[in-house]
Amino acid sequence: MATRTTQQKSRPSLVSPPVAGVASLVLPGLGQVLALQVQRGLLLLGSMVTSVGLFAWRVNLLASQEVGAIAKLTRAIDRQPGFAVSTLVALVAAWLWIAWDAYQQAQPGRQGGIGVFALVLVLFFALGWQISEINLYKAVTELADAWRPLSRVIWPWAAAVERDIETISASADILSPCDDAPPPPPPEEVPGEPYLVADPTCGDLATRDENLKEVLGTTLTLVGRGFAPNTETQIVWADPLGNEFRMRKEGGYITLQTDDQGAFEFEVTMPYRLIPPSSEGRQIHRIEARQVSAVGAPKPSVTLRNNIEKMVETIVLGMMATIFGIVFAIPVSFLAARNLMSGSPITMALYFVTRTILNIIRSIEPLIWAILAITVVGLGPFAGIIALTVHSIAALGKLYSEAIESIDPGPIEAIQATGATRLQTIMYAVVPQMIPPFVSFSIYRWDINVRMSTIIGLVGGGGIGFLLTQYIRLLDYRSAGIAVWFIAITVATLDYVSSDIRQRFV
Amino acid sequence: MFEVKNLTKIYDDGTVALRDISFEVADGEFLVIIGLSGSGKSTLLRCINRLIDPTEGQIIWDGVDVTAAEPTQLREIRRQIGMIFQHFNLVRRSNVITNVLAGRLGYVNPWSSLLHSFPAQDREMAMQALKRVGIVEQAHKRADELSGGQQQRVGMARALMQQPRMILADEPVASLDPVLAHSILGHLEQLNQEEKITVLCSLHYLDLVQRYATRVIGLRGGQIVYRGSREDIRRMTDEEFKEIYGEEAVRVSVGPQEGGAA
Repeated sequence: MATRTTQQKSRPSLVSPPVAGVASLVLPGLGQVLALQVQRGLLLLGSMVTSVGLFAWRVNLLASQEVGAIAKLTRAIDRQPGFAVSTLVALVAAWLWIAWDAYQQAQPGRQGGIGVFALVLVLFFALGWQISEINLYKAVTELADAWRPLSRVIWPWAAAVERDIETISASADILSPCDDAPPPPPPEEVPGEPYLVADPTCGDLATRDENLKEVLGTTLTLVGRGFAPNTETQIVWADPLGNEFRMRKEGGYITLQTDDQGAFEFEVTMPYRLIPPSSEGRQIHRIEARQVSAVGAPKPSVTLRNNIEKMVETIVLGMMATIFGIVFAIPVSFLAARNLMSGSPITMALYFVTRTILNIIRSIEPLIWAILAITVVGLGPFAGIIALTVHSIAALGKLYSEAIESIDPGPIEAIQATGATRLQTIMYAVVPQMIPPFVSFSIYRWDINVRMSTIIGLVGGGGIGFLLTQYIRLLDYRSAGIAVWFIAITVATLDYVSSDIRQRFV
Repeated sequence: MFEVKNLTKIYDDGTVALRDISFEVADGEFLVIIGLSGSGKSTLLRCINRLIDPTEGQIIWDGVDVTAAEPTQLREIRRQIGMIFQHFNLVRRSNVITNVLAGRLGYVNPWSSLLHSFPAQDREMAMQALKRVGIVEQAHKRADELSGGQQQRVGMARALMQQPRMILADEPVASLDPVLAHSILGHLEQLNQEEKITVLCSLHYLDLVQRYATRVIGLRGGQIVYRGSREDIRRMTDEEFKEIYGEEAVRVSVGPQEGGAA
């Protein structure tokens, strides 16, 4: 083996080892080129230029305020010492090693080692780590804060059921501001019904003075009777427009507890409301005491029902796209099969055109097709079907055509030799060979399409992804969690089923 | 009476596969074609039922010009010519009985056959054919579950379904071991002798040629370089053998029966 190595090293170095080393010290890789290891030299030069360039770019980003290379470097080391120092050291080490490598290469009978390339790889790794903003520290320390929403996604089933809500409430009208006319009368008390009375029944809302300091509103004494005993009660304010909000006191919502008789007495100050300056006349506000309680048996929540609905839509979407894809891909695949199209220059041209179009369509992601389809047919599952169909045609067209190309010509000539017609030959020699790959590829594509249809909704293409993005944007992590679970279950089931069916056919 | 006149085949890429081949075959003969791989044996056999269209020349069978036949007429000719192949050419994923029934495709209604519907007597005939080649119990297995020898028997059963007057066999035993080779060729010989079916068969091994052939032609570079009767081939010398197979040819003795004579 050793002899063969020396034989391969046919061209000796142009320069002596020290000269090569110095050359590479001046310009990395130059020494290797002079030692007639041209490829190696250019590769090392390219690596060093790239690394130095990337390093300069990142340093400049870290210290864009500073002027001058030294100042920038100092600032960068100051801000991110780990990255800056280690990369700098690695750069210098690589530079020196390349010079040493040139010295080695220039010696007669030497073959290249790969140590220098390993160092270059380490250098690129360090740069890549910083450029891609990998921050393991953050990933660990902020996990605790993320745990609450994450835990809801992981186990979201509390949102899957809900119970009917029963509300016991009573309200009183409040006039603002007080005027000469008599204030609204307190409501009539009906025995056995909840009853709320406010005293006084007119007053001023909280406002802000010229210094923007809050001026408290009139204090109202609320007396409630006939509520459910020992139950949490909310106080709600409704303005004349009907806007409701829960009243607050000292930052928190007011919640009070009724006594054994279902009564309470409580003081509130009238809240701050933005009244349009143009508003005129008497303003009747309303204050309400409300007890909300869940009653009856748990039942599937709206969230759960929405998720089921959209999951069904998703599966159907994937299925329809697959069916359309198969229908269109079969004729296309014949045009894209080399063995069928090699007959004449015209068919060959058709073959190349078809192949090229298929390749272009396939290289565009379904999500992008969905965005394009939405501009045509609007939001909704139809856009998703179009997107997935287009992509399926291209993908299946290629797979099918390859199945046609790999067909065994033997059976075809055997069936022809029996005196069969062309159609009989196709039925007996071609179709039996095509069915297994066709079925296999189609099911595989169905699998892919359902998986894709779960996320095609992210851009508005219908299906459960649409719901999922909405829930995430509403920070409704439990509902989002249900969607995630549904997707996971569906995809896993389909994965199993499709691989099972495919195994039977192939 | 079967006659090949001045047959030439030049492929599109310019390869000359056959050059001016002429020979005659009497009914009931067992004609063996010998020659190296690439000498044109397969092309010659495929020209006979026009799986490959010859460039020039004629093939006359009982006064009918096969080379000039219209598609319908050609199918009628083809269905009388059974064919078996080196690699069996079964539809591997179909079951055995379907493969055998495919031999009837030239006879049955082309439309109903598309739905895999065959007359009851054809199905009966298929079982008989499988019984004859000794693999009736495999009828409902998939073709690719069978061993090589069994697959070639299915290929023979398929050819039998055509009720052929002639069988073309393209190196039928080249993929089989010597014992199976004798068994398959034995079946062919039986058909040849009992039913007077003309057999055109290409073979590699001289021993098999000497054992089964009633007449031999040797091809080299697409031309006939040897013609011999049964007696000639038994007396065949190494020089003649080398003329066909080239200088490096070595006789290989195959099987226990009638080893390499001469």
